[in-house]
Amino acid sequence: MLEQNLLNGLMSGWIYILVALGLTLVLSIVGIVQLAHGEIYMIGAYLVYYFCVIAGFRFFPSLLISIFCAGLLGIFLERFFLRAFRDDVEGAIISTIALILILQTAIVAIAGVGYKNIPSPIQGVLIVLGARLSWERLMTILVSIALVSALLIFINKTRMGQAMVAVSEDREAAALQGINVDRISSIAMFLGCSLAAAAGALTGAIFDLTPFMGGFALMKGIAVIILGGLGSIPGAIIGGLILGLVDGLVTALLSVQMASIIGLLVIILILLFRPQGLLGHE
Amino acid sequence: MSKKKLLKLLSYSFLTLVIFLLPLFIRQPYILHVLIMMGVNIILASSLRFIATSGQFSLAHAGMVSIGAYASPLLVMKQGFSFWVTFPIAGATSMIIACLIGYPFARLKGIYFTMVTLFLTEFIKLIAEQWRGLTGGVYGITGIPRPNAIIIPELLNVSFSSKVDFYYLALIMVIVTLLILYAIESSRIGMTFLSIQQSDLLAESVGVNSTGFRVLAFSIGCFFAGLDGAFYSHYLSAIAPGSFGFLLSIYAFIYMVVGGRRKFSGPIIGAIILTLIPELSRGFKEYEPFVFAGILLLVILLLREGVVSLPERLNKIIKRRFSHA
Amino acid sequence: MTKYFGGLAAVNGLDFDVSRGELVGLIGPNGAGKTTVFNLITGFIWPSKGKVIFKGKDITGQKPHLIAKTGIVRTFQATTLFSHFSVLQNIVAACYLKSEVNFWGAIFHTSNSLKKEEGVLRRAFEIVRFVGLEAFKDHPTRGLPHGYKRILGIAVSLAADPQLLLLDEPLSGMNAEEVDRAVTLIRRIWERGTTILLIEHNMRAAMNLCHRIIVLEMGRKITEGTPEEVKANKEVIKAYLGTGRHDT
Repeated sequence: MLEQNLLNGLMSGWIYILVALGLTLVLSIVGIVQLAHGEIYMIGAYLVYYFCVIAGFRFFPSLLISIFCAGLLGIFLERFFLRAFRDDVEGAIISTIALILILQTAIVAIAGVGYKNIPSPIQGVLIVLGARLSWERLMTILVSIALVSALLIFINKTRMGQAMVAVSEDREAAALQGINVDRISSIAMFLGCSLAAAAGALTGAIFDLTPFMGGFALMKGIAVIILGGLGSIPGAIIGGLILGLVDGLVTALLSVQMASIIGLLVIILILLFRPQGLLGHE
Repeated sequence: MSKKKLLKLLSYSFLTLVIFLLPLFIRQPYILHVLIMMGVNIILASSLRFIATSGQFSLAHAGMVSIGAYASPLLVMKQGFSFWVTFPIAGATSMIIACLIGYPFARLKGIYFTMVTLFLTEFIKLIAEQWRGLTGGVYGITGIPRPNAIIIPELLNVSFSSKVDFYYLALIMVIVTLLILYAIESSRIGMTFLSIQQSDLLAESVGVNSTGFRVLAFSIGCFFAGLDGAFYSHYLSAIAPGSFGFLLSIYAFIYMVVGGRRKFSGPIIGAIILTLIPELSRGFKEYEPFVFAGILLLVILLLREGVVSLPERLNKIIKRRFSHA
Repeated sequence: MTKYFGGLAAVNGLDFDVSRGELVGLIGPNGAGKTTVFNLITGFIWPSKGKVIFKGKDITGQKPHLIAKTGIVRTFQATTLFSHFSVLQNIVAACYLKSEVNFWGAIFHTSNSLKKEEGVLRRAFEIVRFVGLEAFKDHPTRGLPHGYKRILGIAVSLAADPQLLLLDEPLSGMNAEEVDRAVTLIRRIWERGTTILLIEHNMRAAMNLCHRIIVLEMGRKITEGTPEEVKANKEVIKAYLGTGRHDT
């Protein structure tokens, strides 16, 4: 039992990391407090539902298509809507709240409020040293690790990735160096939304879908960013793992609800006593 | 008195008269209900704006409302107090909790403060869901008694068995709340809040305890949120944690922003308009969030300062047109 | 006092005093730690080592608003004003310490508190006139020319009735005419009995105004003395020539 909760915790942790990394990308490069990030996560899940269950494609192709479509949606939203609120915090909050309402209602109108289900792409368990590990969860972890690794390679080893880092540190300086900030913004938005959609799709393969599943993802994403430190990628990874494992362990020892309560308490305390997070700057 | 002022005084007096005499002409419970909820939302939005005058955007309002919404019924049902005693106590409970957490919270700036208030609302909701012994858990509390009857022999017999009685209670609550908030805001205290909002560094340098004032604004705003919650729970006679999630905090924020954050009348107008929308869109309830979103976008793109700034904006446009003539 | 930021000492073993009634200048190249000194004195940051003593009392580690209450007021290097208020409102707001505000009286708008507010308004008016901004008293700060904004910053600090006034580069960004007016104003403030400690990059103005000058470099005091002594001091010349900074 314990190992299953730990595996769940690890899996949750990686999902949180995907969401948080996406949110960090949008926050530090596009410059927007994207409160509708959870809705992109939700749309990722529903896209896979439509491609996989309705259209009949296999899970992994559906996953890839969904990630790509979500990325495109992100570019569209950034270019025609969010860019206006780049350094306008109040405006960004209000417009992304409007976006939450629009996206949620659109999905409710199209798919209804009832729970939907994506059949599991992998069944069965792996038995290691007497522990029964569900393949579903292992796959989720592996895919997440793959995606995060791809992102890290992109950021560290490509010129575009480095340009993104430059923009996140100082947008004007980056522009002066000849970096096309608008294009980098679009790319960051594409990646950020893709990660969120991937997280949603992977979660959707295991748990039920509802149009309102985004709020949970947003809260966890913000919690991870706070824990790990604003703008820090290693922070998001470490923070996500810690939060996920805490969730898993506390659920094992106490209950799911206590896990949420303790998680929230930890975040509140961090905000009060170390607001820059574990790895953030002052 | 100038003609303009006379006109203003007459129209306000007329409006007041209409509001007070309304239940004589309108007795449909449904309409009274909408008006009562309007009152609740006016207090919600105005108290949130009060906190915003000190530069803090709080998303904890839903949590603070829920504290009052639970405190009053629990004291009435478990300890037998009269509503008229528990009502102010509910407000005080929210205020005290706001004061206690306000100090560590007030040190946080801007978006960090808002985030921590968001998490606080979730935290309070989770506690309400888990502490079954106290709050009834996810199912909440039902059978909350109406406010104790007010009986003055041969003069008054208010038993709160009809919506009309609640209408007048809400009306008085709104008037008292707005009077107090306005009085504070138009005093030196209010000016000090505004100075902190604009530059707390400058305010500190001339002797203003910016943290203390922020806690003060937060506590007072939360006091009225608690009162609102207490009224709400005795009016609806049943409450559950689900009603007090961060969506309620967001709605309060939207009422404030759509109406206009910078003027006292802003949240009032915002609350009135946005309470009416769900009622008018009864026919297409699933699309109600679209309407909300649409209004939000209109405001944010065209009328940044909110609906209350419409007259000024129109004036400017008209002046510009005529100066070109 | 010593103050470390991370591993770097912004202020390092600095020791100086200012006597009542003096007009002292604090100069030094960029990054010498001058604004840090102001922040340390007024409680916006706290020293890693050392003390601040004012009127015989140790005020180290106190909060800024309490230090303001004891009589030390500072202005800011970057123009810092209440940007939505008018000129007069800025000063009225800054009269907080002098308003004897009583919470309940203020809320109930008692005749007593209304009278006090009238007094505050009158005082704010005098200050506006004293600094020469009365023509702009109802002007919003937004459209104000830069020089006037700096003057307003000084006026705001006067509203708190300081015994010791710390001016952080009050003349920055001013043209020659504005500088002259500001220098006159500062001198008049000093003549009224306020002790002044002044950070300035404008050498000519600083030398003209101040009776004594303290020179900082890399967080340390390298010399102090009268303007003439300081001008002739070899280390001061080296410190400034080294960074290419000359007097304006």
